[in-house]
Amino acid sequence: MTCWSGKLLYVDLSKGTVKKEDIPEKLYKAYLGGDGFGSYYMNKFVSGDADPLGEENALILAPGLLVGTPIPTAGKTEFFAKSPLTDGWGEGACGGSIGLALKQAGYDVLIVRGKSEKPCYLFIDNDDVEIRDASHLWGRSTRETEEEIKKEENDCSVACIGIGGENLVRYAIISSDDRQAGRGGLGAVMGSKKLKAIAVRGDNDIKMRDPERVLELTFEWYEKMVNSQAFKDDGQYGTGEFLEWMNRERGTFPTRNWREGVFDQRQKIDPYYWAPRYSVKNKACPQCVKPCGKLFVIEKGKYRGTKLDGVEYETLFSLGGNCGNPDIESVAKANELCDLYGIDTISTGGCIGFAMDLYENGILTKDDTDGIDLRFGNPDAVVKMVERIARREGIGDILAEGVKRAAERIGKGAERYAVHVRGMEPPAYDVRGIKGMGLAFMTSPRGACHLRSGAYALELVGKFWKYEGVDRLSAKNKGQEIADMENFMAIYDALGVCKFSRGLFLLEGFHDILLATTGMDYSEDDLLKIGERICNLKHLFNLKCGWKREDVKLPPKIRIPIPDGPSKGSYISEEEEREMLDDYFRARGWTRDGRIPDKKLRELGIEEFAK
Amino acid sequence: MYVKVNADRCSGCRECELVCSTYHFGVSNPKRSGIRIEKRGLTEDIPRVCVHGNGCRYECISACKFDAIKKDDGGIVRIDHEKCVGCGACARACPLNAIWTFEGKAYKCDLCGGEPRCVKVCSQGALEVVR
Repeated sequence: MTCWSGKLLYVDLSKGTVKKEDIPEKLYKAYLGGDGFGSYYMNKFVSGDADPLGEENALILAPGLLVGTPIPTAGKTEFFAKSPLTDGWGEGACGGSIGLALKQAGYDVLIVRGKSEKPCYLFIDNDDVEIRDASHLWGRSTRETEEEIKKEENDCSVACIGIGGENLVRYAIISSDDRQAGRGGLGAVMGSKKLKAIAVRGDNDIKMRDPERVLELTFEWYEKMVNSQAFKDDGQYGTGEFLEWMNRERGTFPTRNWREGVFDQRQKIDPYYWAPRYSVKNKACPQCVKPCGKLFVIEKGKYRGTKLDGVEYETLFSLGGNCGNPDIESVAKANELCDLYGIDTISTGGCIGFAMDLYENGILTKDDTDGIDLRFGNPDAVVKMVERIARREGIGDILAEGVKRAAERIGKGAERYAVHVRGMEPPAYDVRGIKGMGLAFMTSPRGACHLRSGAYALELVGKFWKYEGVDRLSAKNKGQEIADMENFMAIYDALGVCKFSRGLFLLEGFHDILLATTGMDYSEDDLLKIGERICNLKHLFNLKCGWKREDVKLPPKIRIPIPDGPSKGSYISEEEEREMLDDYFRARGWTRDGRIPDKKLRELGIEEFAK
Repeated sequence: MYVKVNADRCSGCRECELVCSTYHFGVSNPKRSGIRIEKRGLTEDIPRVCVHGNGCRYECISACKFDAIKKDDGGIVRIDHEKCVGCGACARACPLNAIWTFEGKAYKCDLCGGEPRCVKVCSQGALEVVR
């Protein structure tokens, strides 16, 4: 066997026990790794009625299959757990070195269950696994925790939580090398287990079937990558490069809690403005030769000393445009605090924008906000609110629950302003003008998410892969498109390859790569079948958690037409929503109410999980 | 000839480490790499790689008690793994922190026969060949 280590490590924090198991070769063939293993082991180990913050929930970590090979941009590790934000399928990918270390330590999957009584961290040194005291790390930031553990143990990789995870903020993140598994509150799952960190030292070689061929392919793809337009754009400006285009050409940049689709003060948060001033150098995930990260440093003024890897496109939206915040230093500071405290920038900005909307509409007042003037566009308020949320202080305690639960707590019609799908705050794509993405927000197993399908690029540009002439303003024929894209993207998460490489590798590029690394001879159709298997397993998990079609709906704001800009007048009607979902379930071969028929389960070889 | 480092341009991706070990040993393992990126928190990513005498005094050669490190006719400083016992004296002596020991052997750059593979995959210009 090459490219995989063949072992699973299972840790029970309640009992303090450690177990190792072999992973049968057939599972690699059926699931590849990363996302594939997550979908398999989540169904195997986590029951649908598990309390996301209880000991029965499992935190699962699985590096993508190609992690550790020199194939460029294959540096992603996936984390899984039942999500405390959506009470369903939870996952987050992270470009930290923890996956490489875990693989080198000899494990392709790590499963942590149970709950420790006292703060602890897991130290994996190849074959030796220890549960260690972490009292001295509790309360520390993600960066401090990582540094502290690296002082105790040289030569290791760390994944950890900040105070957001400790305080069970429902959208707390897991951080590794200042990169985050961001969405769905997996950091809170670690916090609930009193698991501050996972540190791994691995020494094993990663073997490949034909290393010479792997190097040839590495150089070949390297050349394609550095000669691509994305390399130039991301290299200079990061992922926010297309922010102006999203506003001016498409009018689909959600602004002021989804009131508008164009941010009038966007120039001030555009990377073309800030990168030359604040970006010191590029920062990359492991194995990435086309870095989108920027080391952003503020050298003077009240936020002097701020240092972060960012500001990423989604965060320019969430802590910027969505809060009407035109102050890039405030956005960067709030971003840094989110990273240090360990909370998701997208959900955090979603919650702050929501609170600002309530404030401007008189549902929240200064009495509720401890005197913070929560109007849109107040840069200081954004920074202060990040603190409140992470510490669960005052109104922050309510917002730490996410907009769905917060709206229920606040009442007074607050739910009309709560922008979420199945509990998750959406990323920076105003789906009123990108209708296929509206469907994708609904069908994504983890709630409103742009990455399960990655269909935003296809929708916004009109073509990608086998699709052409896609009309973003139409709700017609979106079912097959989104299902196909989800299957496609699941392969990237299973292989651990960055989705920003999807236009280069597509799926056909993986044929030679898989042959050289593992010996598996997979066509595009074979891979799509695996993708379909993974997507069905995630949905199956959600069904076990009580997923119902009627819970899958777009928020009320999506019914209000975009007021201005290139998408002016566009919205998604109830009928379109229903039509798109019907279309999708048909494309998936599911029933009208979204159940998976036995026939489909058997076809995909996953009938064992149906009970 | 040597690989010159422009540390302020390194993005910290460590692709060089994986390519180096794969090229030399047919396995991917940063710990067998002849170049390593030293990470200091968020802000610093410093490539460490041998300069083959261009800026050092061959401290590694002097430090080796086993005759395992030599400068060849082309000026390349090489480790003979047959003779190396992994004592680590060279690694401690190296003023550039560009030698490491792993599982009883020392590892360092050998310039890949004149075409350093690390430079080939450094998209940021942090590594360059100086002839």
